[in-house]
Amino acid sequence: MKNLEIPGSRDVYFIPAVSFDAESGVCSISGESYLEETVKFYMPLYEWLREFISTAKKPIEFNFKLTYFNTSSSRCILDILNILKDYEDNGGVVTVNWHYDEEDTDMEEEVEDYMIESELKINLVPM
Amino acid sequence: MLDNQKFSLYNYHTNFDKDILMSYKGPFDKHILAILGNYIEVILGRNPKAGKKIFKIFIELAQNISFYSAENDKLGTLAGIGTVVIGEFEGHYTFVSGNLVRNEDVVPIMEKCEIINSLDREGLRKYKRDMRGTPQGEHGSAHIGLIQVALTAEAPLDIEVTPVDNQVSFFTVSVKIEK
Repeated sequence: MKNLEIPGSRDVYFIPAVSFDAESGVCSISGESYLEETVKFYMPLYEWLREFISTAKKPIEFNFKLTYFNTSSSRCILDILNILKDYEDNGGVVTVNWHYDEEDTDMEEEVEDYMIESELKINLVPM
Repeated sequence: MLDNQKFSLYNYHTNFDKDILMSYKGPFDKHILAILGNYIEVILGRNPKAGKKIFKIFIELAQNISFYSAENDKLGTLAGIGTVVIGEFEGHYTFVSGNLVRNEDVVPIMEKCEIINSLDREGLRKYKRDMRGTPQGEHGSAHIGLIQVALTAEAPLDIEVTPVDNQVSFFTVSVKIEK
């Protein structure tokens, strides 16, 4: 299967950079997420992950490097975490790292909330 | 208002004293949001922590105006019309946003705000998690937006509703952000 690459940009909306590697299973979302049609943007990411999970069956390392996301995006991030949690529950090997600025206590809380909601372990990694 | 001679631009201008960093009234379409958001980042760059909070609050409340205001930019973008004002004081910033809402929506919004203001931080986080688990509406959810505003500001929502006529009321939400 193909890699998924979306270049990030910051114009009227903030598009996060997406890099999903089908060979290594290393995936990342970086930058800022504030979009015109949030679900439409994230849908191909869900589809890629579901295909990878059902065909490659390899370990996934998912790296979040988001410095800002609005509340619409926050729901889509939860959807990604839930897909990863399902994979883990079904025997997949999943590592989730959340890279953040240590001074950003709001982000630290967000990650704690995501851990509670998804029941997935998320490693907080200072940037 | 402009055509009846009573509108004084001088009064309008001078009523906005030195404490006001920014004010805008008009349609909240995507380009306006981008320009104002960018401007907020620039003027608050000297205080990055509070600046980032104000930017986050601005996006949530401006999107609420854009999607849910009962008054629309009929000639152009169809975006909701509203007002935002940012004031700077000794130890804090104040962010105020307002727009017309339909009268039947006033009670549900007020109830939501009362719940938000009754909760401590842990309670608010739980409330947000519970709401985030429910299906998404057309434009996301204004409810999560308001919860996020209270969490980001680390302060209650100061709400005011001014009846306008039998159709609409003016809904104002104001929050303080510590420097």
